[in-house]
Amino acid sequence: MESYSYINIFETKGLEYILLICFLLLFIYFVRYIFSSKKKADENMK
Amino acid sequence: MAGKNVLEIGTATPFKKGYKMDKKTIFFGEVKRFFKFILQEMKPRGKWLTPFNIISLPIMFIGFILLILRFVKGLGYATNLSQEFPWGFWIGFDVITGVAFAGGAYVITFVVYVMKVEKYHPIVKVTVLNGLLAYMFYAGALVLDLGKPWNIFNPIIGNSFGYNSVLFLVAWHFLLYMATEFLEFSPTIAQWLGWEKLQKILKSLTVGAVIFGITLSILHQSGLGALFLMAKSKIHPLWYSEFIPVFFFVSSIFAGLSMVIFEGTISHRVFKDKIDSKHHAAFDEIIFGLAKGAAITMFVYYFFKALVFIHGGQWSYLTDSWGIWYLFEVIGLVLIPCFMFAYGAKNRNLGIIRTAAILTMIGIILNRLNISIITFNWNIPAVYYPSWIEIVITLMIIFTEIWVFRWVVSRMPVFED
Amino acid sequence: MDRRNFLKVTGGIAASLAATGLQAKEKQNDEEFVGVLTDTTRCIGCRACEKACGEAHDLLVPDVENDNALDNLRTPSEKQWTVVNRYETDVGEVFVKQQCMHCWQPACTAACLTNAMLKTKEGPVIWREGKCIGCRYCMASCPFNIPKYEYGSWNPKVQKCNMCYDRLQQGKKPACVEACPTGALMFGSKRELMEIARVRIYNHPEKYVHKIYGEHEVGGTGWLYLSGVPFEQIGFRTDLGTTPYPEYTKEFLYAVPLIFFGAPALLTGLHFLTKKDESSEE
Ligand code: SF4
Ligand code: SF4
Repeated sequence: MESYSYINIFETKGLEYILLICFLLLFIYFVRYIFSSKKKADENMK
Repeated sequence: MAGKNVLEIGTATPFKKGYKMDKKTIFFGEVKRFFKFILQEMKPRGKWLTPFNIISLPIMFIGFILLILRFVKGLGYATNLSQEFPWGFWIGFDVITGVAFAGGAYVITFVVYVMKVEKYHPIVKVTVLNGLLAYMFYAGALVLDLGKPWNIFNPIIGNSFGYNSVLFLVAWHFLLYMATEFLEFSPTIAQWLGWEKLQKILKSLTVGAVIFGITLSILHQSGLGALFLMAKSKIHPLWYSEFIPVFFFVSSIFAGLSMVIFEGTISHRVFKDKIDSKHHAAFDEIIFGLAKGAAITMFVYYFFKALVFIHGGQWSYLTDSWGIWYLFEVIGLVLIPCFMFAYGAKNRNLGIIRTAAILTMIGIILNRLNISIITFNWNIPAVYYPSWIEIVITLMIIFTEIWVFRWVVSRMPVFED
Repeated sequence: MDRRNFLKVTGGIAASLAATGLQAKEKQNDEEFVGVLTDTTRCIGCRACEKACGEAHDLLVPDVENDNALDNLRTPSEKQWTVVNRYETDVGEVFVKQQCMHCWQPACTAACLTNAMLKTKEGPVIWREGKCIGCRYCMASCPFNIPKYEYGSWNPKVQKCNMCYDRLQQGKKPACVEACPTGALMFGSKRELMEIARVRIYNHPEKYVHKIYGEHEVGGTGWLYLSGVPFEQIGFRTDLGTTPYPEYTKEFLYAVPLIFFGAPALLTGLHFLTKKDESSEE
């Protein structure tokens, strides 16, 4: 009745690492985007 | 101004140096003065018939009566709870969502007292007050939901400790955290009462209380999520994950920040006269800063969700209406407001930031309700929706909290440095 | 101390150590958890167990002849700790008795913050009124949805089967087991019951599905089931996994002290770090 089958719990690891790399790259851009505001605003004010 | 008023009352005591009074008289004089002062402060100020009062007073009154009925007749009378849905609106919304929104207090105290970013100092007191009241009322709502609340002393005084329970941990942390929040806020109370020495002593304890409070917050914010770890067979797999505690913790950061933005915007309109102009100007800067913080934490949160999604291999779940609901929550109410925060902070657009804050708050409400109610028992036909009594009592709790908040803010020097 | 004496002393210590070690083992052995084996192929749906349960615990005693309760699928309720359901399957009608599974590592006891839900050392999971605060966390956690709540009462109880814990202590069997006329219910230690169940499957491989429900489910349960049809067809959840439910919160609860040590240290460190920066700037 009970079937014994091999379950690979690391099947998705590759994708996860890809996601991680994407995340890191995007995160850098995202943070730079957000913090680019100050200078611009200051320039505008001047 | 309220603060000055207070000081006058505080100094208008009948004793001056040089007078020789025995301790008893001083003591009784002080006590008398204290009660007189409190009595005087109890009196309402300002107009009575504001729209808010007209709406909230009847609801609070009805809610109070319903609350009595709930304790006389049992939970079944007041709620739509069932054997399939042991936890409903009071736990899912009042406690779990309410506490998430109170997360602002630990985030702001962290930034101000640990990281020493002075920019946020003006809002620290009001945020702590908000957090304290939120815990008193929303975490306190837990007691309404207990069937035998008089036995609550069992897990507290220790005649029956269930160390193995997540709820045990959460309940204790609520208690301890309320105490630390009170300690953090107490200098303001002391100042209001004109007890300067005490104020100094209490102030020196603040940093310790803050550090303890942040630790407690990390644990009980995530603990609220951990409550659902054992409901594995009941919650929809898109929402269930062994990382629920981490999700709850991370999302409480931006939930709290959004709440601070939202609440700050409102109280700056309502309590305009109590806030000096310097503070007003600084407030916009503060909002931009908070928006940046929210954007970054939401960005991280989103990717973390994606990671868990990919790890679970949950693509096949996306095809039905649950999947669409999930995408709506994660993309519509996390990723989009995240970008709105970022855009608003960069372009210094307050309107967009406020909209984003509201969207984020809706997202948090949905997320907490999804886990505790909406997708709970998704695989059986039974459904739960709150009864009108549950909603009225919830409204009563919210309104009472706002009343107390208003009372405190218009008497104690909350908006001043 | 001369050599001989030394040997004597160490030998003595070793012997006493060995003895205590044995004692510990023995203790474990004679505290075997008890359970009940339900053989659904023998159940005729007479509901004598329902009646006996109601009588034994002052609960609802169903009118078995006239109430036609088998027409609907029921679950145990706050008025009845056990119910029998009828399922139409490939092999005809099958009757299944339902009640608390008396898990070996129960979710409900791990959830309870006052230990009102208690896994007794004999095996039954019981509820104690004086401790319960009525938070219903046990209900939210139980994978079988067993604890039921008296929503209609101002002083509500949590109701669930306690395997007749009082009767067991008087040396009697659970009321339902005693009432069963066909031997569909059998009381014993789980080890014995597993052996009996395996023998039945072995002797009648065509009659049973080759699975004992409760052997591994949620870490093993005290109540075991044999069936002639796949368990999904007679109302069992087979997707619950074999992990004991308390394991799901274990990691979180382990992390708590770690965070409690770590976070304040980190925060205090940060506090002084930022402080120094400030003063050097000034
Ligand atoms: S079946 Fe439910 S109530 Fe019974 S022991 Fe297991 S977890 Fe507890
Ligand atoms: S309802 Fe009672 S028995 Fe159940 S978890 Fe809460 S305190 Fe324990």
